[in-house]
Amino acid sequence: MPARVATIALLLSSCLLPFARAQEADVPEALQREVQAAQDGLARAIAEFEGSQQSRSIVAFDEVVRRLEAPGSQALPPRGRDILAQAYEYRGRAYFNIGLSEKASENFRQLVQLKPDYALAKDRVSPKVVDLFGNVKKALVGYLAVSSKPAGAKVTLAGPGGARRELGLTDFFPMEVLAGEYTVEVSRPGYQTETRPVSIAAKATEALQFDLVRILASVYFVTQPPGVEVWVDGELRATTAGSLAPELQEAVRARGLDPITASARTEVANLSLGGHALEFRRKCYETVKRTLDTAQAQDYEADPLRMEDSLASLRLVSDPPGARIFLNGEARGVTPAQIDAICSGKLHVEVKHASGKFIKDLVLAKDESISLDCPIRPTLAFLGLEAASSAGQQHLADAEGKIQQNLARLGSLNFIVAPREAVDRILEQEKTSRAALLPGAGTDPDLVRKVTERLAAALEVQGFLLALLPDERLQRTARLYLLAAGNTTAESIDVIFAESASYGGVLSRLDGRFANHRPWSGLLTVDTLIHDGVPVLRVLPASPAAQSGLAAGDVVLSVDGQPVKRTADLLAAAAAKKPGDKLALQVRGGAVGSAPRGVDLTLGESAREVPLFDPQLVYNKVMMDQRSELEGYPGTEAAAYARLNLALCAMHFSDYAGAHDYLQKAKAELPARPGLSRGTALYYLGLALEKLGYKPQAVEAYRAAAEAKDATLTDNDGPAVGPLATRKAGP
Amino acid sequence: MPRIPLLAFVAPLLLLASVAVAQETPEQQALRLLEDGRAYRAQGKLKQALDNFSIVVGSFPGTESVGAALLEIGRYRMEVDHDVDKARQAFEQVTKEHARGAAAPGAYYHLGLLTLGRASTVAEIDDALAQFARVETLYPRSEWVPRALQASAVGLRRAGRYGEAADLNRRVSLEYPASDAAAAAQFEIGSALALSGQPRQAMEEYQQVRNRFPQSEWAQPALERTTALYRLFGGAKPAFTLDPAFAAGTGDLLKDVVAIASAPGGAFWIASGKTKSAVQLDAAGKITASLPAEEPRALSVSPRGEILFASSRGLRIGLKDVRSFTTPPEKPGAAPKPVEHILAAAITPGGFTLVSDDDREKVLRFDAKGEPAGFFPPGDSTKRKVTRIVLDTEGGILTLDREEKAVRLWDEAGKPLRVFGPAGLKKPVDVAVDPFRNVYVADEELGIVVFTPQGKALTTIIGPELRKPRALTLDPAGAVLVYDERAERVLRFR
Repeated sequence: MPARVATIALLLSSCLLPFARAQEADVPEALQREVQAAQDGLARAIAEFEGSQQSRSIVAFDEVVRRLEAPGSQALPPRGRDILAQAYEYRGRAYFNIGLSEKASENFRQLVQLKPDYALAKDRVSPKVVDLFGNVKKALVGYLAVSSKPAGAKVTLAGPGGARRELGLTDFFPMEVLAGEYTVEVSRPGYQTETRPVSIAAKATEALQFDLVRILASVYFVTQPPGVEVWVDGELRATTAGSLAPELQEAVRARGLDPITASARTEVANLSLGGHALEFRRKCYETVKRTLDTAQAQDYEADPLRMEDSLASLRLVSDPPGARIFLNGEARGVTPAQIDAICSGKLHVEVKHASGKFIKDLVLAKDESISLDCPIRPTLAFLGLEAASSAGQQHLADAEGKIQQNLARLGSLNFIVAPREAVDRILEQEKTSRAALLPGAGTDPDLVRKVTERLAAALEVQGFLLALLPDERLQRTARLYLLAAGNTTAESIDVIFAESASYGGVLSRLDGRFANHRPWSGLLTVDTLIHDGVPVLRVLPASPAAQSGLAAGDVVLSVDGQPVKRTADLLAAAAAKKPGDKLALQVRGGAVGSAPRGVDLTLGESAREVPLFDPQLVYNKVMMDQRSELEGYPGTEAAAYARLNLALCAMHFSDYAGAHDYLQKAKAELPARPGLSRGTALYYLGLALEKLGYKPQAVEAYRAAAEAKDATLTDNDGPAVGPLATRKAGP
Repeated sequence: MPRIPLLAFVAPLLLLASVAVAQETPEQQALRLLEDGRAYRAQGKLKQALDNFSIVVGSFPGTESVGAALLEIGRYRMEVDHDVDKARQAFEQVTKEHARGAAAPGAYYHLGLLTLGRASTVAEIDDALAQFARVETLYPRSEWVPRALQASAVGLRRAGRYGEAADLNRRVSLEYPASDAAAAAQFEIGSALALSGQPRQAMEEYQQVRNRFPQSEWAQPALERTTALYRLFGGAKPAFTLDPAFAAGTGDLLKDVVAIASAPGGAFWIASGKTKSAVQLDAAGKITASLPAEEPRALSVSPRGEILFASSRGLRIGLKDVRSFTTPPEKPGAAPKPVEHILAAAITPGGFTLVSDDDREKVLRFDAKGEPAGFFPPGDSTKRKVTRIVLDTEGGILTLDREEKAVRLWDEAGKPLRVFGPAGLKKPVDVAVDPFRNVYVADEELGIVVFTPQGKALTTIIGPELRKPRALTLDPAGAVLVYDERAERVLRFR
C-alpha cells in the first residue's frame, strides 16, 4: 500500500508540479505546505478508494477537502484547485459506490461550482457516475460563446464577488460556465477593451459578438539585411529576420533593395498615435535614424531600408612580431597584419606573445583605417588581497578596489585581475596557497618556482602581485608583493592603500626598465687636475674608438662642440645618443704642442649587467622584463644577454640553482669576444657553483673564464674577467 | 577680547604629549631615545647623543634597543674619546649579550676596526680580519657585510696582500654597489693596484669611483690620486712642470724655512726659523693659524691628520696639545733627562711617538701616555742623525739620516724594509712619500729625486728655479712643493 501511495503521489506531482511552479511563486509558504499536504493526503485517499475500504477513503477525502476549503477557493493556487477538484470527484464517486447518491451529487455540485468545465474520464469512471455527474452539471452550467472582430482578443469573465476567470481568445466555441450573472471583458492589444454584462442560464447558450475599436498603430518593416534591431523611442521593439515573401519581392526590388537578401516583413505593433523616433541598428552597419508619424490607429508600411555597412580596417605591428591577434576575443592572425572589414564601434584588441601582451580598447569609425603599434609588455596578474588580522578584513573590499584602480595606471606592464577559480585550482593541485608564495612562509623555493611557472602558463602572464593588509593599529598600509614567474622570492613595497599619491613611488619603480644595452665608445679617459680636457688612458681593442684612430695619450678637448672638463661630460654625451650615432670630438695628441684635430666617433653598443644589489631596482620586475626579452627574441644575442641578467637577478635572491640553469645556457649562447661575453657567463657560473658547494666544477668554470680573452664584467668597459677568474681558480 | 595666557594653550598640549608618551611601552620609549640620540649625533651634538644612548642602556635594559645603544656608545668611545679599551668593552658586550640583535654585526665590525687601527704586525692584522670575517659568516644578510668586507680589504692591503685586497674590494663594488662601502671599495681597488705596481689599471679604477660614485667623498681623492699617477706613469716618462702662478707665504715667513707640510683639508704649513713659528695658510694664502716655537725643527702629519710641529724642546700635536719628553735617568736617583734637542718627530698608527734626539743621536720611542718605550728601531745601537721622520699610507716609517745621506724605510715594529741612497743621493735634506709609496727626496745638489717603492730611481725634478731645495712636501694630487733656500720661495711642480 505505501508503495502504491508513493506511485500515485509521484504521478500526481509530476502532472501538477511544472504548472504549479509557474503559478505558485506568489503563494504564501503556509498555504503551499497545506497544498502539498493535501496532495499527499489525496494520494493516500485515492489509494484507499482503489482498495477495498471505500468508506475509509471518504474520511481521507474529507481531510483533503477540509484543508483546501479552509483558505477559500479564490485563494487557492491552481494546483490547489486541481487537488480539491479531484477530491470532490473521488469523494463523490466513493459516496456513489456506497449508495449515497445524494451525497455524491452534492460533491459533484461542489465540483462543478469549482470547475464548471470539469469532465469525468469516461474510460475510468462508471457510466452511472458519469451520468449522475452530467445531470448535476446540466443543472448548473450554461454556455457562453464569444467572438470578436478582429479575432484573437482575450476574454475574461468576471463573476459575483470579483471572481475572474479567463476563458481564452476569441473566437471560441461555447464554453461551460456556471449559470449566473457575469460581465464579459474582451481585450486585445491595440484595441479598446470592451465589457458587457451577460446572464447565463443553466443549459442555455449565450453568444456574444464584439466589434473592437482599434486605438494603436502597427508598422511593418523590411530591411536589407535581416537581423536589424528596430528601436522605437529608445526601446528595442523588434528585430527583422527571415526572408521576404515572394509576393513582396517586386515591390522591394522597385525600391532599390535586393529582395533575396531582404528580411521578412516584420511588425512593430501597438504603437501609440503620434510621432516616433526610430533607430535601426545592426553590428557592422551604420545606424539609421528616422522619424515616423502614426497619426491613425492603423497599419503602416515603412519604406524598405537598406543598411549601409560600417567597416574599418586595422594594421597591427608588434615588437616582437609574430604575436597572435585577438579582436573582441576572436583570433585574427598574427602580427604584422592588415585586417580589413572590421565592424566599426568598440573594439577590444589583444595582441598576445609568449613574452607578454598588448591590450587596447578602441572605437573605430566607419571607413577608418588605423595603424597600431603594439609594443608587447609583460603582464602582471593580481592574485588578490588578504588581511593579516580581523580588523583588516573590514577594509578588504575597499583596499582591493583602490589597489586595482591605482595599479591600472602602470605604463610598462599590463595589469589584470587573475580569475580566482583558475588560480585556486592550480594552488589546490599543488597543495599550496597564496600566502605560501610570500617571503617568510618557509615554502620550498622549487615549489614557488614551479607554481609561478604553472600559473604564468595558465594565465598567460609574466608576473604576479599579491597584497596583504598587515596587522597594525591604524589600518592604512597595504603591502604589495611582486613575484616574477619562475622566481623564488617576492619583493614588497608598502603603500597607503587609500591615498593615490602614495602609489606614485611604486608606479615609477615598476615602470622603470633596466636597459640591457648602452651606447659605447670603447674610450677610457681619466680626470686629472693637470689637463685642460680628459686624457685617454686606454682604447679598447676593436672598439669604435679604436676604429676612429684614437690612441692612449690623446686628450679629448670637446664633444659636439661642448668643452669636456671631466670624463662625466663625455659619458653623458654618449649616453644621450643611440648606437650608430656620431660623436664629434676635438682631440689633441699627448705630445706638448700637438695641434687639435677633429675625430668623428660612431658609437657602438655595449651590453650591461644588472647590478647584483641595487636598492633602486625591483628585481622581480627586472626579471619580468628580462624574460620578456628572452621570450620575445629567442635565439638572438639580446636574448642571451637577457638570460645572463636573469642569472644575476637569481643571484640577487641567492637562488644559485636558478642562476646556474640560466648561466649554463647563457655561456653557450653568448659570443666569445671582448667585453661582456661568454667569459662573463663562465665567471658567474663559477661563482654560482662555488656557492652551491661544487668546488671542482667552480674551478673548471673559472679556468675557462680566465681563458676568455678580454671578457669583462659590468659592461664592455668593466674590469677584466681574466685576472679575477685566475685568482678565483687558484694555483 | 580677554587675553588668554599662552600656558592655557600649551598646557593641554604638553599634557597630551605626556599622556601620549606615558602610553608608550618601554620598548617604544627606548627606541625613541635611541633614534633621538642618533639624530643628535648627526647634528654633531655628541654629548647629548651619548646621554641618550646611556639612558637606553641604563634604564631600559630588557629592550631590543640596548644592543644598538651599546654599539653607539662604543663608537663614541672610539671616535670621540679615542678610548680603545672602553670602546672594546662596549662592543664586546654587544657581541656577548646581544648576539642575535641587529647591532651584533656592527659590533664585530668595529672590533675589527679597533684591532686594525692598532695593528702593526701580520698577526694583529689577521686578528682584525677574523673579526671582520665573523660579520659575513654569522650575519650574511646584514648591511654590515659590505662594510666588513671592505675593512677586510684594507687589512689585506696593510698586510701587503694587494691582489686579495683588490679582489675583495671588487666583490664589494660589484655585489653591493649601493652600500655605503661601495665607493670606498672602488677607491681601494685603485690603491691596491697602484701599490702592486699596476698604475694604469689603478687609474682606471680610480676613475670608476668618479664615474659611479660622483657625489661620494671618494670622488675628489680619486681625482687627486689619478692626477698623481698620471703625472708619473701617464706618459712615456714622469712629467713635472713648474707652476709659475703658485705662491705661498710672504716676507719673513719665507726666510729660514725649516719645513713645509701639506695637511688634510688643503692646509699648507710653513715652519720658519725667522718667525720662530709654524704658520698655516689656506688656499688663498691667508694665514689661518700660527704656532710659536723657539727653535722650529720639523713638520709632519699624524695618522689622525693633525699637524705635528717639532721644535727643539717639544712637540705640538694639532693646535692645542704640546708635549715634552724625558728619558729615564741614567743613574738611579737622578732626575729624568729632558729631551731638548729634537730633530724630528712623528706619531705611528700604533700610537707611539717617535722623537729623533740630537743629543742621544737616536730615535726615541714614547707610548700614548708619553712614557719612554725604548728606541726605534728597538734595540738599535747605531747612532743616527735623523732629521726627518715621515709615515707612509701603509704604516711604513721613513727616516732621513742626514749624515748617512740615506732614507730608510721601516715597518712599525722597526724591521728595516728598504734603503734609498746613499747611491743616487748627495745631500738629502728632506723626504716625502706619496700614497703609492714612491719616495721623494729633496737633495740640495741634485734637486728632487723620486724613487719607486722598490728603490729604483724614477725621475729627478730639476730646473733653473730649483737651486737649493731645503724643505719638501707633496700636495694631495701629488704635486711637489719645495722650499728653495736661495730663492726664498716655495715652488710647486705639478
